Amino acid sequence: MKTLLRNRKALIGLAIIAFIVVVAIAAPLLTHYDPAARTGRPHQAPSLDHILGTTRIGQDVFARLIYGARTSLAVGFGAGLLITLVGTALGIISGYRGGKTDEVISFFTNMVLVVPNLPLLLVLAAFIGQASPVVIALILGATSWAWGARVTRAETLSVKQKDFVKSAEMMGEPQWRIMTFEIFPNVISIVGINFIGSVIFAIITEATLEFLGLGDPRAISWGTMLYNAQKASALSVGAWWDILTPCFALAFLGIGMSLLNFAVDEIANPRLRTGNHLKRWSLLVRSGEGRL
Amino acid sequence: MAFLLRRLVFYMAAFIAAATINFFLPRLMPGDPVQIMFSSAGAELPPESLQALKLTFGFVDGPLWQQYLTYLGSIFTGDLGRSIKYFPLPVTSVLGHALVWTVGLMGTATIVSFALGTFLGIAAAWRRGSTFDVVVSVGAIFATSVPAVVTSLIVLFIFGFTLGWFPNGYAADPSLDPAFTLQYIGSIAYHGILPMVTLCTVLIGGFTVTMRNNMINLLGEDYIVMARAKGLSDRHVMLWYAARNALLPTVSSLAIAIGTILGGSLVTEVVYNYPGLGNILYQAILARDYPVIQGQLLIMTATMLIANFIVDISYVMLDPRLKGA
Amino acid sequence: MTQPLLSVRNLTIDYIGEEKDFRAVNDVSFDVAPGEVFGLAGESGCGKSTIAFAISRLHKPPALIRKESRILLDGRDVLDLDREALAAFRWREVAMVFQSAMNSLNPVLRIEAQFYDMLRTHKGMSRAEARERTAEMLTLVDISPDRMRDYPHQFSGGMRQRIVIAICMALDPKLVVMDEPTTALDVVVQREILQRINELRRSFGFSVLFITHDLGLMVQFCDRIGIMLAGQLVEQNTAEAIYRTPEHDYTKKLWASFPSLHGGVLL
Repeated sequence: MKTLLRNRKALIGLAIIAFIVVVAIAAPLLTHYDPAARTGRPHQAPSLDHILGTTRIGQDVFARLIYGARTSLAVGFGAGLLITLVGTALGIISGYRGGKTDEVISFFTNMVLVVPNLPLLLVLAAFIGQASPVVIALILGATSWAWGARVTRAETLSVKQKDFVKSAEMMGEPQWRIMTFEIFPNVISIVGINFIGSVIFAIITEATLEFLGLGDPRAISWGTMLYNAQKASALSVGAWWDILTPCFALAFLGIGMSLLNFAVDEIANPRLRTGNHLKRWSLLVRSGEGRL
Repeated sequence: MAFLLRRLVFYMAAFIAAATINFFLPRLMPGDPVQIMFSSAGAELPPESLQALKLTFGFVDGPLWQQYLTYLGSIFTGDLGRSIKYFPLPVTSVLGHALVWTVGLMGTATIVSFALGTFLGIAAAWRRGSTFDVVVSVGAIFATSVPAVVTSLIVLFIFGFTLGWFPNGYAADPSLDPAFTLQYIGSIAYHGILPMVTLCTVLIGGFTVTMRNNMINLLGEDYIVMARAKGLSDRHVMLWYAARNALLPTVSSLAIAIGTILGGSLVTEVVYNYPGLGNILYQAILARDYPVIQGQLLIMTATMLIANFIVDISYVMLDPRLKGA
Repeated sequence: MTQPLLSVRNLTIDYIGEEKDFRAVNDVSFDVAPGEVFGLAGESGCGKSTIAFAISRLHKPPALIRKESRILLDGRDVLDLDREALAAFRWREVAMVFQSAMNSLNPVLRIEAQFYDMLRTHKGMSRAEARERTAEMLTLVDISPDRMRDYPHQFSGGMRQRIVIAICMALDPKLVVMDEPTTALDVVVQREILQRINELRRSFGFSVLFITHDLGLMVQFCDRIGIMLAGQLVEQNTAEAIYRTPEHDYTKKLWASFPSLHGGVLL
């Protein structure tokens, strides 16, 4: 944790995420408008009254932005958690138990991996009809765990060989205990990376599904904001604030999470660090103290 | 060889899995599956056609396994039913047209961003720690973390609407007749630039980071040190010893990325109104044209599998350790 | 002795960390005469490999060779060479054999390509000329020249090590640095490789800097030996002397930790 806080990328990323979370939670304090209600004239440009303008049906964009943050974050983290849980569980089980269990789970995993994600989600959503954010989170959890399962399994295979696992086995510990208390804590870094990646994926995919019209248009999230703006031809009529606001919000959150993701990657594998960690070395070389 | 055969068998199984999903979806939803599938047909659909459609999708009298086999039979004889929205066009021809555009856009974008991204990744890894590396790595992070839908909209907004340098959609100028004329092909190219730029931006970051990380992970290997000890130039070592080896895991990650690439290209097509598979699927969903929707899943899965197989073949050609296998 | 081939003087190498430094090699000095086998012995982490790398200047940051260090090959200071001179110097005057040949050969290039790139860089040879020279070298180490178009993974560990030795000999170097060349191989193969190196040495006259932790092996193979402990050269003498009359405590400890089959007599 300490190393995480010393990493510049992680700090910036966490700051961005924290900022968005705080804004989302403090929504009622930041605006007095009801995000679903008609509070202004249609497609008003940003003004003092409506700092980010209004939508086609006169809703305040800023209010929708910060209330929408709640939904987008909730679905993102919720689905991310679900995806990680399923993937980790399956990965550890198939990695540790090996044999037939491994073969079956791996086969199943590879199959899910090879069917293209978004088309499958689209088909599912089409059959379900207007999917509320909760439903979207659930179907994301049900279909997107395969990558996490695969990397967790690989990690489990190498941890399995270690001495403390073997000694636990010899002492007769039941399998479920070994998997939970010996294996799991030692694959935690890959689970962490998996989690962050899953959240990023969930946020992006939820927004995409809603943009394509498969969500519930009455829900208030950044994805539905995109959908409604697109339907109102916001770009063509010049109401750029309507569509660009959720765009930049998503980009901002995405960047924050990605910075965190890369920071965790760098910590797990210090060779990948960017930036100048050779300052002292360069100084010494330049002053003639030494060479290569 | 055995490796490739095993992959082929696996892909066959995956394709059947997709078909199976297609088969079970309407039957698992609440309500009458026939109702769900063909509800959008309305009165315009003559009863014999409705009957034929039902047969294609396995809605026959008989036990479930018989229905399943009927459906599989239809698929493997190339009968994906007829589109409801574009009745009486068969699904295969609706999708066939769109496939060409998608393969063109997606294929070109993938090749271009893979080449560029890999090259940038190699350069960044070799100049590790320099400003160039920082700029490239952080730039890559930014490019990958922005969702495709957002990139598409922003690019369209800046270059299409605000600056007006490029057209706002469609594969080619709608007022032109499709023909093999220079004018039409020129129009295709002109209209293709923005979607191409968008897709490349979305994809390039991933390849850059992957290649950079793969390079760095093997820069400490003995064969790299020996290559330097042999007095070979830095460039030679970087290309023939480091990059050539780092290419292997990068190519295999390409296979995994194809699903994401399909998703991204789908979104780009919708934003730019490009008549590819993505857009057709989108329109089909709006119209509840289930035969097309289901056909889409199969075609897209098949595309994924073929693309994966091409990557497998490339991998075998690149890694001599697999050639003999 | 006549002018030494390799003269290492006050070699000090640090690894520069973000806050602290680690001194891997501390003021080490020794000479290697032409045609001599000089051994550097010590446990892992004592700095012997760091010295080996430094001779061909293969280190990368954060390693730093301190300014008072000198590495003289035939009178020329290796540390002063510019980029071009260094590239010409590498392999032509000093060649290296690494520990695991499994990893020293590029897995995706054919054997002949791994000879060719070096032969072309140094001697401007054409492919045909390079093929001839490659065949010559492979025959020297008892590998059939027909196999030059094979890939490294098609050879066994011992064969790969021999191929690396063949690549080393190709430019007729003056010094061959061997960093634990046989540790990863089984004892029989170990013996073969060392015998082969000895034969080649007698034919071509190069010196060997032999690095290992196996003191017993070293005493049989080397003319003179240096003992390293935590970056410092604590004792330096002929092999015979190191064996019979070790002076430094550490050297004595090394011998003591040696399991003996015949109650103390090794040879």
